[in-house]
Amino acid sequence: MPRALKSPTGLIGTVLLLIVFTAALFGPLIAPYDPQLFHVQARLQGPSREFWLGTDQYGRDLLSRLLNGAPATVLFGLGATVLGVGAGSIIGVIAGVAGGRTDSIVMRILDGMLAMPELLFTLLIVSFLGGGTAQAMLAVAVTFTPGMARISRSAVLSVRTREYVLAAQARGESQAWIVGREVLPNAVAPIIVEATIRVSFAIMIGATLGFLGLGAQPPSTEWGLMVAEARQFMFRNPWCVAVPGLAIAITAMGFNLFGDALRDVFDPKRNH
Amino acid sequence: MSLAYLLRRLGAVLIVLCVVSVTVFAITAVLPGNAALMILGENASAENLAAMERQLGLDRPVVVQYFDWISGVVQGDFGTSLRLQLPVSQVVGEAFWNSMSLAVIALVAVTLIAIPMGTFAALKRGSIWDLFIGLFSYVGTALPEFVTATLLLVFFAAPSRQYLPAGGFVAPGEDLSGFFVHAILPATTLGLILMAHISRQVRSELADVLSSDFVRAARLKGIPEGRVIRRHALPNSLTPAIAVISLDIGYLLGGIIVVEEIFAWPGLGRLLIYALQNRDLPVIQAVTLLLAVVYALSNLVADIVIAKLDPRVRYA
Amino acid sequence: MSYFTLTRRHVLMGMAAAATLPSVSFGQSGTPISGGTLKISHSTRIATLNVLSLSGPAEYPCIDMLYSGLTRTGLDNQPHPDLATSWEANEDATEFTFYLRDGVTFHDGTPFTSADVVATFEAILNPDIASSARSVLTMVDKIEAVDDLTVKFILSAPFADLPYSTSHANARILSKAALEGDLSALDTTANGTGPFKLETYDSARIVRLVKNENYYKPGQPYLDAVEMMLFPDLAAETANFLSGTTDVMLTVQQAAYARIAESAGIEAQRVSSGRYVCIVMRQDQEPWSDVRVRQALGLAIDRQLLVDIILEGLGRPAYDSIVAPEIEYYTDKPEIMYDPEGAKALLAEAGYPDGIKATIVASDRPAIRAQTAIALQQTAAAAGFDLEIKTMPHDTYLAEEWMKGDFYIGYWGMQPTIDATYNLLLTSEASYQDTEWKNAEFDSLVAEGRATIDPAKRAEIYAKAQELELADKPYIVPFFEDVLTASSEATKEWKIAPISRFYFVEDVWLDKA
Repeated sequence: MPRALKSPTGLIGTVLLLIVFTAALFGPLIAPYDPQLFHVQARLQGPSREFWLGTDQYGRDLLSRLLNGAPATVLFGLGATVLGVGAGSIIGVIAGVAGGRTDSIVMRILDGMLAMPELLFTLLIVSFLGGGTAQAMLAVAVTFTPGMARISRSAVLSVRTREYVLAAQARGESQAWIVGREVLPNAVAPIIVEATIRVSFAIMIGATLGFLGLGAQPPSTEWGLMVAEARQFMFRNPWCVAVPGLAIAITAMGFNLFGDALRDVFDPKRNH
Repeated sequence: MSLAYLLRRLGAVLIVLCVVSVTVFAITAVLPGNAALMILGENASAENLAAMERQLGLDRPVVVQYFDWISGVVQGDFGTSLRLQLPVSQVVGEAFWNSMSLAVIALVAVTLIAIPMGTFAALKRGSIWDLFIGLFSYVGTALPEFVTATLLLVFFAAPSRQYLPAGGFVAPGEDLSGFFVHAILPATTLGLILMAHISRQVRSELADVLSSDFVRAARLKGIPEGRVIRRHALPNSLTPAIAVISLDIGYLLGGIIVVEEIFAWPGLGRLLIYALQNRDLPVIQAVTLLLAVVYALSNLVADIVIAKLDPRVRYA
Repeated sequence: MSYFTLTRRHVLMGMAAAATLPSVSFGQSGTPISGGTLKISHSTRIATLNVLSLSGPAEYPCIDMLYSGLTRTGLDNQPHPDLATSWEANEDATEFTFYLRDGVTFHDGTPFTSADVVATFEAILNPDIASSARSVLTMVDKIEAVDDLTVKFILSAPFADLPYSTSHANARILSKAALEGDLSALDTTANGTGPFKLETYDSARIVRLVKNENYYKPGQPYLDAVEMMLFPDLAAETANFLSGTTDVMLTVQQAAYARIAESAGIEAQRVSSGRYVCIVMRQDQEPWSDVRVRQALGLAIDRQLLVDIILEGLGRPAYDSIVAPEIEYYTDKPEIMYDPEGAKALLAEAGYPDGIKATIVASDRPAIRAQTAIALQQTAAAAGFDLEIKTMPHDTYLAEEWMKGDFYIGYWGMQPTIDATYNLLLTSEASYQDTEWKNAEFDSLVAEGRATIDPAKRAEIYAKAQELELADKPYIVPFFEDVLTASSEATKEWKIAPISRFYFVEDVWLDKA
């Protein structure tokens, strides 16, 4: 992916993602303290040599909590996206390849699902599922599905009329062969680009649900929940809301920038 | 755009609304607990619970409840809130206007700021300003509303330096300036993501148009640059901007839920969360349907506007 | 009297506190001045005014102003005359006669008579109507109107505490006409005999009450009107209170108390109360069936730490009895110090040398439940308890966990009497028996206590009951939470009873020169 690194946005995105993935992979190992440990003598403190990013209302080390919450936060984004993109792509490809009645019925249903504002849709699903990380992930995935299905369907449709597909049809290749060898590989680029950007949405929605008390539950170190729990104390120690809040922003921005850079690579026309 | 097309779109919206209402009803009925339990809380002895369920009509079969409700809705009666014991139309109506006022303030502010910003960035492409605006738009889209809101509160509403109220609402009829002062932080929070999004869109569209053949042709003809931009480039790049704004209304309707909750703005979002927590089904239904209708209508209006502005777009 | 203003302040590490105390003005407030509108801010919605079933923290002050009861709980936690001027019981406490106040009228002008009392208590006892006071009145067999101003309660079993039960906050007297009409009208309208009348009911923003000129206390209330103003956001509520827009902040959050108490012109009050969090352990389930395990968990809680961190010091450690010091017949409980080693030893003795793994459930509302779980998890880890916390939405909790689960966090308000406290949770037939702790001796003591009139004998009986509770430890009770409220300096006589459902707003006056 070296071409993605050439633009400044791609470079920044890549660097941010490297930081985030390092934190997600090694965070719990390099955290200086147990993220749940109370330091009763040091509640609601700003950064110090002992606690690099300060402490929360229980005197828990914010840096340790942040590092500990990184895998959960990143996995949430990736998991929800993979589920949503997977389901959406399958539906979209089937609709696009099958065409005709199947296609129009599927698209009607998807249009119906898209008639609800995204966050409202997620909120309803998750409050019906009962709150919790798994439920929130599922809700985000379901919300992503119709949009992804549309994108993959149109990718398939645009590929279907290209010369190489027509040529394969003329050669008398089987439908399955054409889909597997010609259509999918060429339709996959826009799906990947969209998916990368969606990860940032998923992370933001996941954190928002955590904040509203519908996602991760205490004593989880999920970043949105960290902001929610510390909200009552935000004026006494702004660090305990700022630290997880900015971490979410950095992660979302990393995926966003990287996704945009990928798009430029795959679709050079849009390269300004 | 034909009348038949419009009717078909509206018909589709209606079907979607029906499906949504049945789904919401069915799921809520299947879930453990109900509004009676939430009203009584830990006073919910079995006897009290049964009595409260009778009082609220929750002892009837779900299907009967649904048909009673839907037949009321068809006659314009959205029922009574289970938790607040007030007509749903009254509760939701007030909240609706409060939400809309906030959304409109945010949208107007965003449009007034984002379009010039995007234009400026496109004109000064490659400059430090362009980079700065681009960076801003990336940061803006990566900050969830609750983070923006919390940070704004820390900076502008901390008890030690109260530049702005930390939340709450003043009816515009009572105190117009108070109303706007209370709207500043929530509207800013709502607007930030949209501003980032729309300015980026305008910049990229305008940049496309500026490097297009017909703008180059216009320049070659010796038409002054200002006129080229005003008469040729901008109108062509605004269509996609409007499309983005209309799409963003869905985003706005989602964001408003969080923003109202944080800033205690008594609108639909806050009402929805209250109703969800209290299992107040008639209110959940009404708010959900209302938001879906607003979303669908704004999409439709956007489509019409785009079709008018851009003759290439045709709806069959 | 367990009612004191801020006289000491817990200085928590990392939190600077000024040494000045707010001026205390009780007992020296001078002659009351009539007039003015008292603005009370609150942060929870007033969703209904239905006296029979409401339970919201901001709903109680409303009905305390709108309605009167037969009796009313005072600051001393004793029943005082309200619509009944006096009462008497027969020898064995099975018949109570209440003599009613003459000349009282409802807000609409209709005279108050014994028929209203009979209708009200019949409604409370009617199983077809949801009513919160029924659980303390189950022994009432019949209510008779002897004449227009005399009512007789005939009980199916002796019950010395009936005047406490009649002062239950949800047992206010409604008019017979209102009870015969559509009961759902009670949600949004009120026709009571209280010091204030309902003027505006807007559950989204404001409930405005105006002076009842015909209130039975002559010259009172002093205030012309009271406005209950909803601020759903705590920061906004605090800001408005501190800037003087509102006169009283009904409930102050622990996190904000120190700052508010330090502000100039503000009187912050902490009222010791019997509100508590409890850890529910179902005793028909392993491992909680073993009293040593319960004792071990009791030793594994650092109570002072919980008070300091969760309550910001605004409460008192409790030692595993649900009876608060404010309740009559309370006996001193021995302190339980944090002793993880001792807990480990007890666990080993009980057959768990490697500790115990368990999942504790906490509802997400109010936040204090999850906070207690988090702190418990931390302090109990050293004692060999490996606790996992499961937080769930309140509706799911109520429907699926409460009274069913075997290990969860409960949260209860204070009850007026030891009898009500035990019959709510601990006797075998308690309304919300959720521990499956059933002790015949305890049951018979509580039954004997309610049938006994002689206070000295009752003290003896209840001391024994509390001993049994302590020995068996059906609940772990880590702390009692103070009730926190604040008022402006100009607001005189703003008081809250420890049970925090009685407010005496008819005594409040504004000294606004």
